[in-house]
Amino acid sequence: MRNETFERLRDLLARDFSADPSTIRIDTPLDQLGIDSLGVTELLFSLEDLFDIRVPHEAVPLASVGDVVDYIDRLSGKLRLPDAQPAASGEAAVTGPG
Amino acid sequence: MEVAVTGIGLVSPLGNTPAAALAAAIAGRSAVRRLDTPEAARLAAPVAATAVLDGSIAFEPQKLRQLDRIGLFALHAARDALADAGLAPGDVDPQRAGVFFGTGMGGTGAVDDSYRALYGDRTDRVKPFAVLMGMYHAPAAWIGIETGFRGPNLTYSTACASSAVALGEAWRRIASGELDVAIAGGAEAPLTLGPLKAWEALHALAPMDERDPSASCRPFSRNRRGLVLAEGAALLVLERQDRAAARGARSHGRILGFGLSNDATHLTRPSVEGQAAALQAALASAGIAPQAVDAINAHGTGTVANDAAETAAIRLVFGGHAGRLPVSATKAVHGHLLGAAGALECVLSLLAMSGRVLLPTMNLDEPDPACDLDYVAGCAREGVDVRIMLSSSFAFGGCNAVLALGAA
Repeated sequence: MRNETFERLRDLLARDFSADPSTIRIDTPLDQLGIDSLGVTELLFSLEDLFDIRVPHEAVPLASVGDVVDYIDRLSGKLRLPDAQPAASGEAAVTGPG
Repeated sequence: MEVAVTGIGLVSPLGNTPAAALAAAIAGRSAVRRLDTPEAARLAAPVAATAVLDGSIAFEPQKLRQLDRIGLFALHAARDALADAGLAPGDVDPQRAGVFFGTGMGGTGAVDDSYRALYGDRTDRVKPFAVLMGMYHAPAAWIGIETGFRGPNLTYSTACASSAVALGEAWRRIASGELDVAIAGGAEAPLTLGPLKAWEALHALAPMDERDPSASCRPFSRNRRGLVLAEGAALLVLERQDRAAARGARSHGRILGFGLSNDATHLTRPSVEGQAAALQAALASAGIAPQAVDAINAHGTGTVANDAAETAAIRLVFGGHAGRLPVSATKAVHGHLLGAAGALECVLSLLAMSGRVLLPTMNLDEPDPACDLDYVAGCAREGVDVRIMLSSSFAFGGCNAVLALGAA
């Protein structure tokens, strides 16, 4: 499952974030692909459509491609993981004074 | 401090370069046209002046997805203005450089899309950047990020006077010595269904001229029936003139002063006294006598109420000189860019002075006794020495803004 999710995610990253698919590995940090906090927000919206999942309201820490793969599989019931902790800070959540 | 305009960037119905826009304005070549979008059939008057810009040429996809149409226009025009000014990084102290932006309606496309999703498509999923694209301050924020200007970054929303106010406030800060450089102007992108229908509901829009849609806006003509909406952006680089001269920058002209007033009477009915007060305030701010003004770029929307009130206000301020004062209403050819109109008309005025030309008021084919000034009807006048102009923007809500401009 993880491989299939990874491949679909890789195609999405290549399409929406102009990433070279050959450079995307499971341990690639998202920021290395130019995906900042706003990029993660956009990515989550696209994941909902592509994987027919609904992303919870709470922010989650997603730092690498592998984190996203596991998150997708967890939300689609393909993977059981301990409950994710809310993001402490940083790139996984849009922060700021609004 | 004297304030020079050293850079101009445009995305406009008349073209996206100053030369193209000036040529169209001189020729009286109207950009007003019949809308051919699928939703145009739902409009009582499917007519507007659109701008043409392919954002994918200038912006990478990720950035493009974060820009509403207004942000795209604004950022593109800002880049062109900065390039035109030829400012090198060492020319600017970022702390003494600001961004002054005006829009009347903000990111209407993002707002419209969200409403369509929620109420039309009945989904509960709004796109993630709706807030960032819809907020009025987004274009100014983007310009700030691109320029690195770290002084005041402000967005003014005073309806149809927004970008004139932005320019005036930028001028004020440079003239007072607070800043050295500013990028100022405005943008608007109101040609989505929601804003178009809202304007239609206000009965302020001109019906489409079935014979010639491009002639639907008729400022100061007795058969004028309303304004025609338009979209675009105009951004200007303003600099302390001494610094601009020291770095050998070309000047498009100068901003000499800025007058503001508020009608404080009615949301839409213009006030002769209010408009006159802004004209007088601009003269006083620039320290010039009424007789020193060579020409005016009027607000001239083509509504029955504005054009008569504006004529009366000009007569009130200029007295006997009003009869000798050429008054151009360029909205006949570029439509009403709402919050961006003042900046575009400021640009056209500066370019007209540089080109020694008075721009024509097109479609004025029925003289109106209530509009009895020299409107440069139908044909530009070339080879005219125009050294000082006023550019007027009078807004719904009662905000009146007038820029006093000087030739280079």
